[in-house]
Parts: sequence; C-alpha cells; structure tokens
Amino acid sequence: MIIQHYLKDVKKGNISIKKTVKSILREAKTLNRKYNCFNVISEDLALELSEAQERNSKGRLAGLPISIKDCICVKNVESRAGSLILKDYKPPFNATIIQKLIDEGAIIIGKTSQDEFGFGGFSTNTDNIPKNPFDLDTSCGGSSGGSACFTQLTKNPHASISESTGGSIANPSSFCGVASLTPTYGLVSRYGLIDYANSLDKIGVMTKTTQEINPILDIIAGKDEKDSTSLSIKRNSDNKVKKIAIIKEAFEIENKEIKDLILSNIKDYDVISLPLNKKYSIPTYYIIAMSEASTNLAKYCGLRYGATLPLKGNFDTFFSKVRSEYFQKESKRRIILGTFARMSGFRDAYYLKAMKVRTLLINEYKKAFKKYDILISPTMPILPPKFSEINKLTPLQNYQMDALTVGPNLAGLPHTSVPTGFIGKFPVGTMLISNHLDEEKLLNFGEQIENRD
Amino acid sequence: MGNLRCGIEIHVQLLTKSKIFCSCPTSGSEEPNSRTCEICTGFPGSKPVLNKEALHQAIKVALALNCKIAKTTFFSRKSYFYPDLPKSFQITQYEVPIGSKGKFENIGITRLHLEEDPGALIHKGATCLIDYNRSGIPLIEIVTEPDFKSPNEVRLFLRKLITILSYLNVYSKKNEATMKADANISTTGERVEIKNVTGLKEIEKALEYEAVRQEKEPAKVKETRRWDSEKGSTSLMRTKESEEDYGFITEPDLPKIEISRELVSLIKSEIPELSLDKTSRFQKDYKLKKEDAEILSSEKKLADIFEEVAKKINPDLAAKWLVRDLIKILHYNKTTIDELNLDTKHVTELLDLFQQNKITDNTVKEVLIQLIKKPFSPREYIEKNKLLIVSESKDLEKICKDVIKENSTAAEDYKKGNEKSIHFLTGQVMRKTKGTADPKIVEKILKKLIK
Repeated sequence: MIIQHYLKDVKKGNISIKKTVKSILREAKTLNRKYNCFNVISEDLALELSEAQERNSKGRLAGLPISIKDCICVKNVESRAGSLILKDYKPPFNATIIQKLIDEGAIIIGKTSQDEFGFGGFSTNTDNIPKNPFDLDTSCGGSSGGSACFTQLTKNPHASISESTGGSIANPSSFCGVASLTPTYGLVSRYGLIDYANSLDKIGVMTKTTQEINPILDIIAGKDEKDSTSLSIKRNSDNKVKKIAIIKEAFEIENKEIKDLILSNIKDYDVISLPLNKKYSIPTYYIIAMSEASTNLAKYCGLRYGATLPLKGNFDTFFSKVRSEYFQKESKRRIILGTFARMSGFRDAYYLKAMKVRTLLINEYKKAFKKYDILISPTMPILPPKFSEINKLTPLQNYQMDALTVGPNLAGLPHTSVPTGFIGKFPVGTMLISNHLDEEKLLNFGEQIENRD
Repeated sequence: MGNLRCGIEIHVQLLTKSKIFCSCPTSGSEEPNSRTCEICTGFPGSKPVLNKEALHQAIKVALALNCKIAKTTFFSRKSYFYPDLPKSFQITQYEVPIGSKGKFENIGITRLHLEEDPGALIHKGATCLIDYNRSGIPLIEIVTEPDFKSPNEVRLFLRKLITILSYLNVYSKKNEATMKADANISTTGERVEIKNVTGLKEIEKALEYEAVRQEKEPAKVKETRRWDSEKGSTSLMRTKESEEDYGFITEPDLPKIEISRELVSLIKSEIPELSLDKTSRFQKDYKLKKEDAEILSSEKKLADIFEEVAKKINPDLAAKWLVRDLIKILHYNKTTIDELNLDTKHVTELLDLFQQNKITDNTVKEVLIQLIKKPFSPREYIEKNKLLIVSESKDLEKICKDVIKENSTAAEDYKKGNEKSIHFLTGQVMRKTKGTADPKIVEKILKKLIK
C-alpha cells in the first residue's frame, strides 16, 4: 500500500495506527537481526507517538512510520552518525525536520545504519554494516545504506529520511532498488543534522516508489530560522518536462548492461557533454568535503559528550587517545587529508582552488539547464559489489565509485534515483538531475519512467 | 628607545543582549554554564545564526575608526584544540574583515573583525573546570599598524579608544579589566609578539618591560613571548619556526554578508558626535580652555551634563565645577560618571544659586558631595539648613557690630594699624553666620564700622 492510501485509510479510521506501528516495529526487529539496517529501534518513542496519534490523530502524516538516518538528531534517542565516538550520545534537542514530522503526526521508529559520519559509499566504514536486501554478501551502498535496505524490505507503509553529501541518498537507493529524492541544497533545514560537510549536506527522502516522495517533502521543506543556509524561496510548481538530455560522459561506463537498461527506458533525448564535471568533480568534491569534515570532527574529543576515556596526561594527549580509539580508519584518513588541504602553504593549491573550480562546475550545469529540464545518468556505474570485492579496493578506487553522483551534489542540484529494473538479481537506478528548485519536474518525470520489475 | 616600533591587537567584548550566534543572554546569572545552549557549547547538529546587532556594532566601531567597510564579507573557521573552545574551531573572520585601512589618533588601523569568545577555564587545585557562559559573546578584534613609538602612546591610544567605544554604546567600562591585547614590539632586533595580556595597565607594563629587555638583548629571530603579570616579566613561548597553523576555511553554515550602502549610512547616522569633535566644538562655542574641553568630552555623560547645565549657567563656571570639583569628588568616592545617578536639573539649580552669589564656594562643594550620594533639591536643602549667604546688609551689619563689641581689643588693634586683626574679626563673623556670609563684604563692613 502506498503512503497516500495508508494516510487516507488512517484518516477514515479504517486502519489502526497502533497496530501498524507494532507491526513495523516487530518487522524492523526481525529484519535487523539479518540485515543490520538499524543502529537503534526507538520502540518507546514510536509507541508513545502512536499512542498519542491513536487517541487524537492529527497532522498531514498522521500515523506514518518513518525511519531516520542515524546522523539526524532525535531528542533522547541515541544519535551517533554511525560512529562509536558518539556512542550513547542522546541529543537534548530534535532536528528541525524531526520536530516538523512529529508535529504532523509521523511516528519515528528508529535510526538507520550508515557509514561513520557519511564517509563512504558502501556503508562498510562503521561497526554495524547493513546488508543488501537481494544478497547478504553484498553491500547496500552508502552512506545511507540502512535507510535504503529497510525501505526495500518493509511490507508496511514507511518512508526513510536520509542524507546526502556526495551521493549518499542516490547510491544506496540504486543498490537497493528504491526511489529517492536529494533536494536542492538549502530546501530542507539541516538544523540537527550531524555535519559531514556543511556546504554539501542535504537531507532527503527515500520511499519504495517515486510518487510517495512528495507528501514527505512537503513537510520537511521550507525556511528554518535556525539554519542560515536554508532557502526562503519555495520550489517551482511547474512540473512540465519538455526537453531532456543524457550526460555523454556518464554513459561512457564499462558496464554495458547498465547503460543499455537505462537507455531502453527513455526516449526522445539529446546528448549533452559536461567535460569539466567529468574531469574535476571527484577531486573538487573530496577536497572540499574533507576540508570541512576535518573541522567538523575536531569537536569529538571525549570532553563533552559521547565516548570518553579516563582523564590522564595533558589535554592534547587525552584528545588524541580518545580520537585514535574511537574513529574508524576512513575518518582518520579524511581528517588527515582534509587538514592537509587547508594548511597554510597548501591551502591555495587545494582548498581555495577547489572552491573556485566548484563555481565553474556549477556554471557548466547552469548552462545545460538553459536548454534542458532534466539531465539523465546512471546513478551508479556498477552493480552493488560484494563485501569481499570492496575490501580489495584502494581508497582512490573507492572514491571513484562516486563519479556520477558527486557532480549534482557539488552543485547543490536536486536529483532522484528512480528504480529502473534489474540485471540478474540486482536493481539498477536512473539518476535524474534538474535545475535548482525544480523538484516537481524530477518527481513527475521519475514517476513516468519508474520500473520496479 | 628611539627605535621602538609597536603594533597591537585588541579584543573587545561588544555590548549585545544576546550572544553572537545564539539567543543566550550575554549577562545575568554568574552561575557557571547557566547561560548556555546547544549552539554555544557546540553540540553535534547545532548551527550558528548571526546576531545582526553584533554586526551593526562592529560596523559602527569600524566607521568611528575611519575604516573602509567591506561590501561583502564572510566568516571563517579558525581551527585549534583547547578545552575552552567547544567546537575546536573559532568562528572568526579571515580574508575579508568588516573594516580595514582605518586611522585613529594618527595610528593606522589595519583591520577590524568580528568573532566569538571561547569559554573560560576555572582552575581548582589539580582539576580544571570549564564555564561556557562566556562562549559565544561577540568580540571585535582591532589590529593596528606598527605605528606606536612608546608604551605611553599605546596607553593614551587605548584610553581614547575606550572613550570612543563608550560613546558608541558598544562597550561597558566594567570590561576594562578583561580587555585583552596582543602586541608586536621591536627595537633594534627582530619582531617579538607578546600574547594575551589582560587589562590596560598590564598592557603598558608588558610593553615597558619588553622595550627595556630588547634594548639589552635584541631578538635574533621572530618570537612569541608570554607576559607573566605576577612576576612582571615575559618569557619565551615559541619561535617563528613552530608557529601555529589554523587551517582557515570558509564557515559553511553562515551565508555571505552583503553590507549595503544604505545600512552603512544608517549606522553612520546613529553615530553620536565623538569626543574629538566635541572638544573642538566646546572650545569654539563655549570658549572653554582646551584642557577643560578635553576632560569634559572624555566621557559622553559628563559632556551631556555640561551642555545641559551650560544652557542656564555661565559655561566657564559650569566647566570649572564639573572638571575640577565633580571629578575630584567622584575619584574620592571611587565611583565613575557612568555609575552616577545625577540629575542635571539639580546641578543647574545649585550652580544657579552660586551664580547669583546666594551661596558660597564651600556650600557648593558640600551640596555636590551629598548630591552624588542621592538626588534631592539643592534649593530646599540650602534653605532648610540656612546656608544662604547673609547678604541683607542690615542683618550683617548687626552681626558685625556685635562682633566688634565682643572683641573690642581686636578692633582697637586694627585701628592702631594691625591689619591681621581684621582677619580675626572677619573669622568671628563667618562663624556666627555659619559661613554663609561673603568674607569680602564682611571685611568691608567691619572696616567701615571701626573707622
């Protein structure tokens, strides 16, 4: 049952919210044992919220179960962004979007597993690694792996709130065969999102089908006084898609089957070349993301919240010990690379240069959108890999997996990953990119091309 | 010290109601960590929102120091680890400060920027506690060119700077003791930086110490030294080679700030006449002496009292009483003009009586001393206590006659030519009139009567 039908039935009183919530909590617990899709199942909060809704159901999402990526703060529920350094950290406040969802009657059911702080594309850089719904030896993608995994597996009405910095929503949606929207940067408030790279982080939505995204987006979008980068302008209401183009470089991938499957699903398209993005988007993305991330992670030092160690030695020694003990290897790598890129003497050549190139890349897209409503690319250049294959990748090969998704993320452009069918037992996603604030066009076109068989 | 060159960096806490990036109050309860929230303690997921008032105050100061105001500016993250810095980076300005290239008191102002104060460490025996009440209080950092040629020049500059800041209503003199400064100072050797000197007096002391020390042992490499206020000396912290690297990046949670021409003109229009302009206007309009005009304009409140009083009272007279006596009384009572609850009406009333020769010098002083303690009507007080000058000549003549009668020997002495006797007799009359008679008049009457 799609979300809209469920919400209608709840309103009519045909469905018991409590029953649905109990059922999804049971299901989450069972699935979690096999797939590790949750870091926390917030049973108490879910029951409390459903109790209140059962008594007096109100709000536009009354009774809808929603899972939340671990990096988004839920008051009094452990929120650790997939990291052991925030183990047992229970935020004293709700993220703005969590408050909005609760105010509209949504039921928060738990925190989904992810790469530590969003650092990765396979959800393997963490202590609780989610598994692909179609094969237990295979990755869900990442970093919002747990969200995509549970969205695919659940038989209950449900949406997942996830987050993307360089592709962390689109990537796992493609690998798990679900629909998703990563909105325009600033459309959804980031207040209460545990930062990866603030100039890139975007909160978005995952559902089974594209048509279910809009009711959730309607709630979470909008200006928030607490997030100075949130936009006061609304998204465009025009959803007519007149002209589309495929991105030439994005289809120069090795996997011919993916390419053919996606192209067989669309027609009447032009071909556009985005050479700057092909060449520079990966290095630009990683320099900016790591520079910002290395400053964001500096606060985790065992002094105020999260994991700590017995106080011993001077504070430098203490900080270092806590950080050495609790950060994953990938986080340490990004802290070191990010710190290097902004050190005096290297800052001009890396950080500042990347900021300039970012503007050039945005301009390249902006030019394309003068002519086209939507640009099309495969979401991922490969099918979901096995864990054993991921272990063999060098860090650089690992970063290359983001080749198709980092472009729109750097430019803050909205994009969807639309389920497009299967190759063997694994799903394939098509990525649609539109101009800023043209989410309606993406969702309209996405519905038309969606193919879940 | 002919070769001395010195530039300073001053940190000043602004006077906003709430902190720079959150709505916590900047003053109130002193209980540690009572004025904090998730933002000023840097909890995961919290985001800063700029307090516009802090921006406006910083622009105001920059304008008063004749700085160029940036059209577009932004914040940066300055990264370093210290337990009082909750995010492990400070939000400050790096590439484009709000103000630059200014000049004040003939000293070049390199830049003026806005930033957040860190928390405070409280050492208790072997443990160290952190109070985040201070964390997020808005600071401006003012950096000067190395234009100072003596520690004394620095002190005078800072005094005048503080005057301006109080005039602009962006600074509380209560913070004077916590005003922090770094200084660059060199004589014949390399440049030496002295870090984190707290308090105006300490700044001058540290510079004086360093100027003398460097004369004896000029620095061979650039170095940073720490001022120890207890020992009254500096010690080496580090040399140039091990300088800290703050890895500045743009603060991505705060959008660029456009400072429109309209905003700048609006803020300009809010700037009151500053002390320098006031001094020259007082000299011109009220014909005051330069020293008096300077003292009166050094405190906005004092200047305002003066102008109000001078509407009715001869300006010279008003200036004399305010500059000499009021300030002396304030010093004696260890209070400042800012803390003073003085009604200008009462001062005018008091000086008006003096101007009309109805009270004596002594009475003015006595009443002023009472007036700074609590407000009351000087006229009523004077009448009640019979302090008016006995100017009715009949009354005075009678008293004089009585005194001559009672002291006939002294009167005789004067007749014989002993000038001193007349002073004695005058004193006796003054005693009888409780000092309310004019001694010159008394003397005249006495002389007339004895002849």
